[in-house]
Amino acid sequence: MENTDTSTSTVRRNSKRPRYSKFTQQELPACKPILTPRWVISAFMLISIVFIPIGVAALFASRDVVEIVDRYDSECIPANETDKVKYIQTPGEKSCNRTLTVPKRMKPPIFVYYQLDNFYQNHRRYVKSRNDQQLRDSKEANSVSGCKPEDFNNGSVIVPCGLIAWSLFNDTYSLSRNNITLNVSKKDISWKSDREHKFGKDVYPKNFQSGGLIGGGILDPNIPLSEQEDLIVWMRTAALPNFRKLYGKMEVELQENDVIDVTLGNNYNTYSFNGKKKLVLSTTSWLGGKNDFLGIAYLTVGGLCFFLAMAFTVVYLVKPRQLGDPSYLSWNRNPGWR
Amino acid sequence: MKRYAYINDDGPSQDLYRDNRISNTKYTVLNFLPKNLWEQFSRFMNQYFLLIACLQLWPLITPVNPASTWANEREVWVVENGIKKLIQAQDIRVGNIVWLRENDEVPCDLVLMGTSDAQGLCCVETSALDGETDLKTRVVPPVCMGMDPVLLQKIKGVIECPSPDRDIRRFDGNLRLFPPFIDNDVCPLTIKNTLLQSCYLRNTEWACGVAIYTGNETKLGMSRGVPEPKLTAVDAMIDKLTGAIFIFQVVVVMVLGVAGNVWKDTEARKQWYVKYPDEGPWYELLVIPLRFELLCSIMIPISIKVSLDLVKSLYAKFIDWDEKMIDRETVTPAHATNTAISEDLGQVEYILTDKTGTLTENKMIFRRCCISGVIYGNESGDALKDTELLSAIETGSPDVIRFLTIMAIGNTVIPVKSKNGAILYKAQSPDEDALVQAAAKLQMIFVDRSANILEIWFNGRTIHYKVLETLEFTSDRKRMSVVVKENDTEKIFLLTKGADEAILPCAYAGQQTRTFTEAVEQYSQLGLRTLCFAWRELMPDEYHEWSLVFKEANSTLVDREWRIAEACQRIEHDFEILGVSAIEDHLQDGVPETIETLRKAGINFWMLTGDKQNTAVQIALSCNFISPEPKGQLLMIDGKTEDEVCRSLERVLLTMRITTSEPKDVAFVIDGWALEIALKHYKKAFTDLAILSRTAICCRVTPSQKAQLVQILKSCDYRTLAIGDGGNDVRMIQQADIGVGISGREGLQAARAADYSIGKFRFLTRLILVHGRYSYNRTAFLSQYSFYKSLLLCFIQIFFSFVSGVSGTSLFNSVSLMAYNVFYTSIPVLVSVLDKDLSEETVMQHPQILFYCQAGRLLNPTTFAGWFGRSLFHAVVVFMISLNAYTYEKSEMEELSMVALSGCIWLQAFVVTMETNSFTILQHVAIWGNLVAFYALNFAFSAVPSSGMYTIMFRLCGQPSYWFTIFLTVAAGMGPIFALKYFRYTYRPSKLNVLQQAERMGGPILSLGTIESHPGTIEREVSPLSISQSKSRSPVYEPLLLDSPNTRRSFGAGGTFEFFQSQMRLSSLYSRNCKDN
Repeated sequence: MENTDTSTSTVRRNSKRPRYSKFTQQELPACKPILTPRWVISAFMLISIVFIPIGVAALFASRDVVEIVDRYDSECIPANETDKVKYIQTPGEKSCNRTLTVPKRMKPPIFVYYQLDNFYQNHRRYVKSRNDQQLRDSKEANSVSGCKPEDFNNGSVIVPCGLIAWSLFNDTYSLSRNNITLNVSKKDISWKSDREHKFGKDVYPKNFQSGGLIGGGILDPNIPLSEQEDLIVWMRTAALPNFRKLYGKMEVELQENDVIDVTLGNNYNTYSFNGKKKLVLSTTSWLGGKNDFLGIAYLTVGGLCFFLAMAFTVVYLVKPRQLGDPSYLSWNRNPGWR
Repeated sequence: MKRYAYINDDGPSQDLYRDNRISNTKYTVLNFLPKNLWEQFSRFMNQYFLLIACLQLWPLITPVNPASTWANEREVWVVENGIKKLIQAQDIRVGNIVWLRENDEVPCDLVLMGTSDAQGLCCVETSALDGETDLKTRVVPPVCMGMDPVLLQKIKGVIECPSPDRDIRRFDGNLRLFPPFIDNDVCPLTIKNTLLQSCYLRNTEWACGVAIYTGNETKLGMSRGVPEPKLTAVDAMIDKLTGAIFIFQVVVVMVLGVAGNVWKDTEARKQWYVKYPDEGPWYELLVIPLRFELLCSIMIPISIKVSLDLVKSLYAKFIDWDEKMIDRETVTPAHATNTAISEDLGQVEYILTDKTGTLTENKMIFRRCCISGVIYGNESGDALKDTELLSAIETGSPDVIRFLTIMAIGNTVIPVKSKNGAILYKAQSPDEDALVQAAAKLQMIFVDRSANILEIWFNGRTIHYKVLETLEFTSDRKRMSVVVKENDTEKIFLLTKGADEAILPCAYAGQQTRTFTEAVEQYSQLGLRTLCFAWRELMPDEYHEWSLVFKEANSTLVDREWRIAEACQRIEHDFEILGVSAIEDHLQDGVPETIETLRKAGINFWMLTGDKQNTAVQIALSCNFISPEPKGQLLMIDGKTEDEVCRSLERVLLTMRITTSEPKDVAFVIDGWALEIALKHYKKAFTDLAILSRTAICCRVTPSQKAQLVQILKSCDYRTLAIGDGGNDVRMIQQADIGVGISGREGLQAARAADYSIGKFRFLTRLILVHGRYSYNRTAFLSQYSFYKSLLLCFIQIFFSFVSGVSGTSLFNSVSLMAYNVFYTSIPVLVSVLDKDLSEETVMQHPQILFYCQAGRLLNPTTFAGWFGRSLFHAVVVFMISLNAYTYEKSEMEELSMVALSGCIWLQAFVVTMETNSFTILQHVAIWGNLVAFYALNFAFSAVPSSGMYTIMFRLCGQPSYWFTIFLTVAAGMGPIFALKYFRYTYRPSKLNVLQQAERMGGPILSLGTIESHPGTIEREVSPLSISQSKSRSPVYEPLLLDSPNTRRSFGAGGTFEFFQSQMRLSSLYSRNCKDN
């Protein structure tokens, strides 16, 4: 269509001529590894050599941790109560005594947890039912978006709003050994960052648990949220339906066969959904609490890698196979295309 | 509907028809939005994203194709208001008189009104229109004959012509001039009176004509057709997979939705802290399914579209940048106009190629000759340098001189003296040009043609001839003659040249023609175009008697052509055969090699040409397109009537079916006539033939037939590539899956309409084997990987919903989700555009490996299932390990989410590493740098107090258990995959793996490989080499080795042929199955 003059078009094309570089020519120096048997076998060997000791160490660490778990939800209902839900929903003192025996010497610090099973803190309605601005800043007391249905009480704003705060766990434990009370420190059980940045020092509970339906624990309206550590711990929602949360810390050493008496206030309702409540006393290791999983998994993976390395070695020795054998290249080896 | 073009009417009639603006664009301002939207949303993936966008109320901006515009600004002379004016070509209106000078391109379809020639003739070159390179004469309609140029500017009249159509061989119109010019006589117009758009005016000083069809309504414009949006096979497959994933997603969403509603009604009502309201809104049942729909929407990666568009434009850039595809002669780099279809290059199954200008240079050179039994030019390959011939000329051998005379004057060439004294020849056909040029170099210089007098210089002497008659060339007669009178001797000669089958039978009784037959045979085997030369002295009586008959034949109105042929027959007999000339239509560099390499890659070739049958066959022979007789077999399909074509077609089909089992190169040859009938009445039989035939030659085909042939192959689900260089190839180029234009002598039309333009045919190898193949491989990896990483995250979300009360909670926060798709995972995979599974050299040496791409082996439901399984496996690994490692007191939502996310990021880094074949520095930077960037970014998020992730990452990185979890995830996730890959790689290697291994070990492959690059020289060494190798090998492979491609070559290409036949069937069956799925 266009009558392009040859000379001008040559000039034009000339200027369009690309500048040479290794990138534009796709000629960047490249390293092209191939999977030689030696390479692969040593890789698997290396993994097994690294993983098996780690697995052993992790397993030892986990075994070092001493843990006492006591399920008390059904035991703390008086035997004559048939309707557990009604019992727990009746206001009043519902104390209960439990005895724990220390299986092994426990070195401080000893962590006191409560464990809830079948409690879905990760439920979509629940996990979002909070307002971080309100928790952080006293000026934001009115921001209750996302807190429904626990946002207003008779028209006045609830602080802290939302289902999470509303359902605060409120069982209490007091531990004693030989009738001497063991001091369970409730200080510094929450994350420091939460206390300092997520929960305001000048934010005080307002209208909390004052509505018709009371969920869980109540908060002292004179203590700022940043010091309500039970709330802060509770509001770190758990990702799994079975979880433990820190109740307190003990700086005493427990000896083997020590008997610990626990007086607990059984207030929290897990009965309507058959949830379990457990009291857990546990020490800790460099890897955390008692959890054999990492150790076993490391040993398994290391072992499998060792097995694979061995298997590949045997196959390599028994049936050596030349790499890049051109005889495999005959294009007529029909139809064994892979 | 008729149209009336009012000549030189400046009134309102001008606006009846469109102006001459040519638009080659798909879009106009008006239809851009609806058309583009329609095109975009006819793709499933886009529909899906629209759906998601509506759900999420995100504004989604679809990428738009820029509307390309053509330059219509070329200036032409047009008469306006009686004055000649220079206006832009796009402003020409129907009825305008357009003035053209020599070598101008015709801007629109014109009816010729006047020329500089006294007889009202002008020459046009129509190669851009129909591909025929000879000049055609056009004549002014009788009523305008001899009109004064000044008068022409004022002429008024009306031309009645049919509505625009695409038939370039037919035009039926009427011209009536208004008084005072001529009375009301109606003058019929034919195609002979027209100048069609994109032709060039040649050998004529000026010409003028009335515009009748303008813009896109010209014959060329109508036959150009509207290009469809091209969708690559890979895109189609990705769409299909997207559809499958979508169905999977709907199923998952429905199952989870039902499960969620059940859980809600049974369990969640008991979970008092969730406080489910007793009475929900009417849509309550839909809430949970829709929530899952949103949660699972990441299953189909939105980023894939963006990533693909990005890498595709980079593939196109690589083509533009490629130094090895720059034509050194004209400094033309390759160019990818369409950036979206590079993968298709790697999946080409059929190449349909134009001949002239594509395979050949379109430059004819006289190479050899055989004069009265003596063969010249065989030693040197150039008769012009043959000393024997030169001395024969010097000694004045009469046969040689006669031969040279025919070369010089037995034609319609017009010599033109240029300013510096050199003589230029204007020839209708390049053959004649070559002959005259050669004669001039052999001292027989054709100097001048003035009226009927020809002037020749020979060895310093001047000879004059008078042309008495010219018996023009027709394709039926296959010869042309001139009757000349030598002025000095008053002798009358008949000088004839033509095809051997048209000349040799006319020899006088007793002349031995065997040597000539042999020479012709020999030359055609060399791929040279042959012409036989013959002469006879005519007695004056004989001539005069005959000339009366001839004149009468010339003036008949009925059956004129036949009558002329009959008249010629009367005089063209009893020839004395002088000799045979051999002309080389110079093949482009590397054409035979290119065709051979691409053949080996399993690509079938069809040649579609507007040229004559024997020329096409000869060129086909010379460029390895078809094999000569004993090995190859040509099957002709011809006939002028339906019955003949039908019979011929059936016969060929039968032969083809029989010979598929024989080691023979079978090709069929069909001409335009037969093709027309075959396509109209026997489409099915022809389609069967098309599937059977690896090679075909179609000659004398029109542009729309070319496009129809492409259409037939496409309808059989083959990926087609059309390559051509002229305007007559434009439709075929646009019709094919991939159009390649050669920016060559016939202008840039084809190159402009094409998806890719290259300088020379030989670059096709590189375009397909290197760029196409890499593009396919890279896209195959990139697209499947995109699905993998999205599915990985999605599966984790699904698993998590089982431990979160099937309520649709997202484990990952929104920032992570977004960054995962657009940042963490897309950057490492984008550098896969640099990945090369095999080096370019290896691919060139083993083009067979292209089969992997053709059959779609790297991207199909099976491979996709592998990636799907891998993502499921990795999701299980990540989920189980992070869940079990972070139990009880550690199971904090944000922490667990980050542990799982880090696990995914690490795994994907290793997956990319494992799937990468060659690491450049950029790959390392992208893969490992991305990992570092992931931590840097998350540290940054963790430092912002207001973010939900505050301190999380610092906290995690301080824990040994975090790192142990990550390493465990990587080892457990990659170990099995790595072991499997190694096992396959070593003990069940694919051809690809073997080549990779061989290439990297620097093994014997290179020595084997050289064989293919120099097929001629090493052929002899091949078999011993292979045999010696086989001795050292286990006997299992020995019989197979005999069939290796190298040895097969020496045993005959039949094996290859047969093998590829079955391969093709396999591949097409395979791909069809895939498509059915």
